[in-house]
Amino acid sequence: MRRLDFPNGPLFGRRAVLGLTLTPLLFGAARADEEAAKMPPQPDDRFVFLTGPKKGQVTQIDDLPLGGPQVQAYPVSQDGTVRNETPLNLVILTRFDPAGLSEETRARSAAGVVAYSGVCTHQGCAVNMWSKDRDAFVCSCHGSVYDPRNGAEVLAGPAPRPLPSLALKPADGAVAVASAFSGRVGGTQK
Amino acid sequence: MHCKRINLKRRSLLTGACFAAFVFAGAAGSACASDYTPVTDARLANPEPGNWLMTRGNYKGWSYSALDQINTGNVKNLVPVWSFSTGVDSGHESPPIVNNGVMFVTTPYTQVIALDAASGNLLWRYKRKLPEGFSALHNTNRGVALYDDKVYVAGLDAVLVALDAKTGKVVWETPVEDWKTGYYMTMAPLIVKGKVLIGVAGGEFGVRGFVEAFDAKTGKSAWKTYTIPAPGEPGSETWQKADTWKTGGGGTWMTGNYDPDTNTVFWGVGNASPWFGDQRPGDNLYTSSTLALDGDTGKIKGYFQYHQNESWDWDEMNAPMLVDFQDGGSATKGLFKPARNGYLYWLKRNPDGSISYLRSEGYVPQNVFKSIDKVTGRPEIDMAHKPATGKAAQFCPGLWGGKDWPYEAYNPKTGLVYIPSNENHCNTLEGKVEERVPGQWWTGVAIPDLHFSVDTKAAFYGELQAYDVNTGQRVWRDLYSGSMMWGSPLTTAGGLVFAGGTNDREFRAYDARTGEQLWQFKTNSGIIAPPSTFEVNGVQYVAVQSGYGVDAAFQEGLMSELVGWQKDVPQGGVVWVFAVSK
Repeated sequence: MRRLDFPNGPLFGRRAVLGLTLTPLLFGAARADEEAAKMPPQPDDRFVFLTGPKKGQVTQIDDLPLGGPQVQAYPVSQDGTVRNETPLNLVILTRFDPAGLSEETRARSAAGVVAYSGVCTHQGCAVNMWSKDRDAFVCSCHGSVYDPRNGAEVLAGPAPRPLPSLALKPADGAVAVASAFSGRVGGTQK
Repeated sequence: MHCKRINLKRRSLLTGACFAAFVFAGAAGSACASDYTPVTDARLANPEPGNWLMTRGNYKGWSYSALDQINTGNVKNLVPVWSFSTGVDSGHESPPIVNNGVMFVTTPYTQVIALDAASGNLLWRYKRKLPEGFSALHNTNRGVALYDDKVYVAGLDAVLVALDAKTGKVVWETPVEDWKTGYYMTMAPLIVKGKVLIGVAGGEFGVRGFVEAFDAKTGKSAWKTYTIPAPGEPGSETWQKADTWKTGGGGTWMTGNYDPDTNTVFWGVGNASPWFGDQRPGDNLYTSSTLALDGDTGKIKGYFQYHQNESWDWDEMNAPMLVDFQDGGSATKGLFKPARNGYLYWLKRNPDGSISYLRSEGYVPQNVFKSIDKVTGRPEIDMAHKPATGKAAQFCPGLWGGKDWPYEAYNPKTGLVYIPSNENHCNTLEGKVEERVPGQWWTGVAIPDLHFSVDTKAAFYGELQAYDVNTGQRVWRDLYSGSMMWGSPLTTAGGLVFAGGTNDREFRAYDARTGEQLWQFKTNSGIIAPPSTFEVNGVQYVAVQSGYGVDAAFQEGLMSELVGWQKDVPQGGVVWVFAVSK
């Protein structure tokens, strides 16, 4: 878990910012932070990059390459809590020409940006690969392929169902969560 | 635990008219978990022929049984006695472990099932609750270890669990590593003198592998030996680029073998990570090696590295078998290993526990080694077939190797080693530099870019081969024209080899000397688990789990695209137990 105190700047842990003199308060604050960091994406959350040169910074629409590949990100609350205490909150963001999106997917997108759970519905691995041949997401463990332009429907592989999606809305050059995941996040396990 | 003794009459055991003709002398006997026989060091060192106390049957790793009631003369009358559905999908890779009438099998996602080995009645079941958000590349489990009155299983989430053998209740749990960083566990633990030894998987996630021993009674760590030396330790000079050792792979995801005479554990080490050697210059000890470890302390006594600066995903995670063979006209305490790199290796076990190279020869076509040094065993690499960052190269056999994790077997009566192998397949890889995210795939190449290929006109792909362990001559082989081979053979004093491993769901028995197929049975799914054999009340049984999945299923999917094989081999685990009808 991390806190984001300056939306476009570096990240600071709350404890590091406040110092040790406020220790009694910090336990409560830390617990609240941890709870917030475990919560699934909430309306108005934005996203921070998980990897790359802008790791930890809020993802702007212009940061996303048009037509893919996806970027991995975690939701961040309005008060700067990065919700990365559970891998189930991993999100993949991709930007397309809205005209190329299915009607339902376009309705959930903002400025051509679509957001899905980054957790494969097969065994729970990260959907962090991109197939140039199929113009689609690929799961990094067992190769399930998902169609990003059409609700992340399964195109190939063992995944039993599409990736849950997040409806988005524009937010000052970035995108923000408009509503919760469309379905249960995570893999299938016995 | 109160245990109700089960004494079924023959008629009730053999339900169904079609089984009425089969009568098994002594089959009415049964196990009662409260009668459980403790497993001792002495029993592990010299297992009774009627039991199957560890994954490969003995510390030498032979997958051999001295039982001969089922033999070449009567195997044609082998029929199923009972079966048990695990209720779990995906790849079942665990042999039935049997201790005086009690059978233990494991399933994917770390379940342990205890059964009456003669009747198939359920005694207890343990289901591990995996953490929320957990994921693993391979969800399988390769079996339990037994010691004293406990059953040990390596949790997929990198937690070692000890269960009460009579009840299945948890006695202790010890976290081994943090699964969120890419570690997971699939191998069967190895018991050595009161300690439970485990290894870890995660070579595709940039972990740093190790073997760790835990006190069998308490679960407390006794020693831990990393497969990749830290700076300053012997071998650290083979990691020439700073910090690459920290994420260098070297998984230990298959069970080791053990030599009680020298108190030496032989444990295999997997691929280096990321996959492309130019990103981590140097030989990269001890990746793709066999380590010789002191059984009490874990101290490294010796090693042999099969290929340096690993770049083909050729893990050498299987420990070699301990076999005494002829070398240069004299009996030699040896190690024998069909390596994933496509070569057979004859190595010497020295009295101090160290390992010397003797000789090697290919058992499948391989295009990477130009030659192998006759003294050191170090291969000279054809760089045209070594992939690197920004440089695509094809290599054969492909990344699944001449043989992947399935075990070979050795029969001391025939002097033959039975090797499940695959040919006529290749990969073409090109590396990229990738940022590591703990817990995510980090090999330097994405799944869509593995470029698996086969000779589409090949007469066969999978095969079972028998080699004379002394001469290195191939004595027989069975070729599978429409399947890869993912089965571990079992061989017996009855002159038989049992093996599944093909996509047609068959379980086969071969004449161990000639390779003639004597029997087959079509199971529910494809068999990728090792068979075992045991005796209860004077009756010999052969047991195996059928449950296709994991890499065999993934590869089958690729073969369906390349040569039109059946895409979906049916999945779902079932334990099958066979005996000879009278």
